[in-house]
Amino acid sequence: MGVLDSLFRRRDNSASAAKTRLLKVLVDDRYKLTPDMMAQLKTDLAEVFARYLPSIDPDSIEVTLQRGESNDHLKADIPLRRTPNP
Amino acid sequence: MPRVITITSGKGGVGKTTTTANLGTALAMSGAKVAVVDADIGLRNLDVVMGLENRIVYDLVDVIEGRCRLRQALIKDKHFPDLCLLPAAQTRDKDAVSSDDMIALTNQLRAEFDYVLVDSPAGIESGFRNAIAGADEVLIVTTPEVSAVRDADRIIGLVEAFEKGHPRLVLNRIKARMVSRGEMMSIEDVLQILAIDLIGVVPDDEAIITSTNRGEVAVLDRSSRAGRAFADIARRLMGEEVPFAALDEQPGFMERFFGIFSRRPHGSER
Repeated sequence: MGVLDSLFRRRDNSASAAKTRLLKVLVDDRYKLTPDMMAQLKTDLAEVFARYLPSIDPDSIEVTLQRGESNDHLKADIPLRRTPNP
Repeated sequence: MPRVITITSGKGGVGKTTTTANLGTALAMSGAKVAVVDADIGLRNLDVVMGLENRIVYDLVDVIEGRCRLRQALIKDKHFPDLCLLPAAQTRDKDAVSSDDMIALTNQLRAEFDYVLVDSPAGIESGFRNAIAGADEVLIVTTPEVSAVRDADRIIGLVEAFEKGHPRLVLNRIKARMVSRGEMMSIEDVLQILAIDLIGVVPDDEAIITSTNRGEVAVLDRSSRAGRAFADIARRLMGEEVPFAALDEQPGFMERFFGIFSRRPHGSER
C-alpha cells in the first residue's frame, strides 16, 4: 500500500510539477515555440497521424522537450485508444 | 597557468557572491594566490560578505580609469594574505566599464594570481557580459526553483554563445528533506533540465546567514555543511576528484540523489 500510495502521490507532488512546467517554458525560451504554436503543432500532428491510425486521441498527445548532451529532443507521446480486434 | 573563473547565474539572490567568497577563501586556504573581483558595479556586496568593507580606498572603476594602480585597489583578506579583493565601485553604474576594460583588468590580475574569481551581477545585460569577457571558465549558480533554473538555462545558452566553453553548475540551497518528500526538484531533475556538468551541490544551511552576518565565510567554519560543500567545489576546481557523496554526510544521500527510486511514504495518513 505504502509503495503504491507514494507512487501515485509522486505524480502531483510539487517537484514534478516544477520540472514539467520548466520543460514546457524552455521550449518557448530556447526555440521560440510559443504555447499557441505548440497547441497548433499537436493539432497538426493528430491530423497527420489520424490519416494512418484512426485510434488516435488528439487531446492526449503530449509534446515535451528533452535535453541531451549535444542536442535537445522534442518528444511526442501519442497514445492510441485500445480497440478490440475487428 | 592562471585561471579566470566567472561566477554567474542570471537570477539574483541565488548565492553568486557567497559562492565567490567561499571558493576564493577555500582556494587561498590550499595555498593558491587568489583575487576575487566584484563586477557588480553600483551594487557592491562581495566586500561585506568577506568582512572587508572598512578597508576600501579605491575600487575597480578607479583602476580602469587610471586614478590608482591595481595594487593600490587590492584589499588583503583578514585571514589569508594571498587572498585579495578588488571591490566594485558603489557610486557608478555598469556603463563605467567596457568588456575590453575587463579583459585588460583580468589579464593584469593573471600576472599576479593563480586564480581570479569574478563575481558577476545578475541579469543578461552589459554587466554580465563584462563579467564573462575575460573568463576562461564559467560557473553557473542556481537553486532548485523554477525561476532560478529557467534563468540558468538562459545564461548557459549565452555563455555558450560567447564561446566560454561548457559552464559547470553549482546547485545551491538544496533542502534534502524537501527533495525526499518530492517537494523540491532533485539534483537529477535539475541536471536533466539544464544538461550541464555539475561541480557541486551546496545544502541549505543557516550557518551561511550567521557567518555572513559577521562578515566571515562559511568555509572557515568546520561545522558548516555548506562550508564543507564549498571546500569540495574548490578542490574540484583544482582538478581533484572529490566524490559527490561526500557533499552530504547525512545518511540517505544516495537515495536522495536517485530521488525517483527512493520515494517513501512520508505522509501521516496511514
